[in-house]
Amino acid sequence: MKKLLAAALGILTAVGGFVDIGDLVTNAVVGSRFGMSLAWVVVLGVVGIVLFASMAGRVAAVSGRATFEIVRERLGPRAAGANLLASFAINLLTLTAEVGGIALALHLASSVEPRLWIPVAALAVWLVLWRVKFQVMENVAGLMGLLLVGFAIALFQLGPDWGELLRQAVPPSPPGAEHPASYWYYAVALFGAAMTPYEVFFFSSGAVEERWTAKDLGTNRVNVLLGFPLGGLLSLSIAACAAVVLLPAGIEVSSLSQVVLPVAQAGGVLLLAVVILGIVAATFGAALETALSSGYTLAQYLGWSWGKFRRPARAARFHLTMIVALLLAVGILMTSVDPVAVTEMSVVFSAVALPLTYVPILVVANDPEYMGEHVNGRVVNALGTVYLVIVVVAAVAAIPLMIATGAGS
Amino acid sequence: MRARARRADHRDVTRQTGRRRAAALAVVALALAGCVPSRQEPGQATAAVADALAEATSAGETTRIAVGLLDDGRITGPVADTVLLDQLRVLDDAESALTTLVPPDAASSARRTTGLDAVGDVSDAVVAARAWAAARSGGDLAGDDSVPASADDLLAELTTALDATDAALAEAGGP
Repeated sequence: MKKLLAAALGILTAVGGFVDIGDLVTNAVVGSRFGMSLAWVVVLGVVGIVLFASMAGRVAAVSGRATFEIVRERLGPRAAGANLLASFAINLLTLTAEVGGIALALHLASSVEPRLWIPVAALAVWLVLWRVKFQVMENVAGLMGLLLVGFAIALFQLGPDWGELLRQAVPPSPPGAEHPASYWYYAVALFGAAMTPYEVFFFSSGAVEERWTAKDLGTNRVNVLLGFPLGGLLSLSIAACAAVVLLPAGIEVSSLSQVVLPVAQAGGVLLLAVVILGIVAATFGAALETALSSGYTLAQYLGWSWGKFRRPARAARFHLTMIVALLLAVGILMTSVDPVAVTEMSVVFSAVALPLTYVPILVVANDPEYMGEHVNGRVVNALGTVYLVIVVVAAVAAIPLMIATGAGS
Repeated sequence: MRARARRADHRDVTRQTGRRRAAALAVVALALAGCVPSRQEPGQATAAVADALAEATSAGETTRIAVGLLDDGRITGPVADTVLLDQLRVLDDAESALTTLVPPDAASSARRTTGLDAVGDVSDAVVAARAWAAARSGGDLAGDDSVPASADDLLAELTTALDATDAALAEAGGP
């Protein structure tokens, strides 16, 4: 249990990155349309985020600096300012989607109109950000998000033809009825979701919040090696459940309520309740993550005092940023915009912003001035370079694919 | 000498202005050319009908699963209600896509009419499913003849509607 709690930061980050409201629906959409043929993207994304989150955590532990402080230092104020604008806008979109996601999950459980839940959800997020200690917050939200393991249990209970699922996954290719452009659009979206920049902003800032030092490099490894692959597994389980139940019925997933049907079919009301609780926890955790990331990025760029380890009065502008971001999110949601559509957009746009975040991390992780003896090894650098190429290709392809496919429709 | 150079400059400026005007006129002409009533090729119209019918089929199949699960006691009333409400929104979108379609020929128009009927039938079945779910959860709907007596009646109605949708989809060239 102690080791699991030590990995809570990684688990919370990964749950937010892999199974937030957009990912929940996107994974089910992918499973119901493409079967398991996009499973390779999740694997690619897990390896990528493990690589770069591990670097960001190591940099934070050794230098005591969070990622956005380094982005500004290495890119200069102008380029970092552009990065800040892009990151902040994507964060805001994602935060909007997550607050909407909490409301959708509560609507699913209660049948009460989601718009009534939106202010309640935002208030609850703010109260936690204001009052609850960072470690308590990450332990509770991260571990409750693990209830989504209900999808994996449901998959086993459904008793699928494992050989068929494997045949869909290997060799990866789009099913005959689907256009290749849509296949690649979802590939970029899944990759963007797995490597979304707010994960490293949150993870590295969380490492500073927890006052990691070079002695905590082992904890860093446990966090990334346990948390992110777990997030990837949950993501694959959701896609597989949809591939087993919804794909044969010709169902195109468009809402959260369809995502849980395979769970109910497999495990009945009890498992369904567990998974709905997991969805509330995962979206709540992701809302906390993105709200904090909004505060972290702006405060770190402008050199303000930041962190939950400080009293709100001592990091007033950091807390004010989060309050404003939450109010903006509520305002956007009150226009009746679909939270799922918002998060799908944010995932694609985050793919565009990936290089701006990951290049400085790779540069700094190789800088002996910051890192001393803890600079990257050759293998990590080679992998990092390969991933930068993939990240650039995804960034360039994201918008044209979105336009060409009408956002994958 | 200077006067000749000035005249040459003036001719250049006049020529450039003329070119700019011609370009502007071409842009305006192109823009106006786009301002004709919305019209689609027959293939596009048929594809749009097929897309709407595929959405309706998906909504109908989702309803079939939800009704079966509620009947077996595997989902709660609120979850079933949310699922069905979401499907009504999907059907609303499908119907809207068909009603706003401008068919370019008689064949497309006939497909659209068949499609609208099929989507309407699925919508009726989902509305009935929602009423049945509400009655099952304790709603005071006793004596309302529009509420199916059992899940089997409802599923039979849904199957008929989905058969019509499948036929319309096949006619529109869908899978």
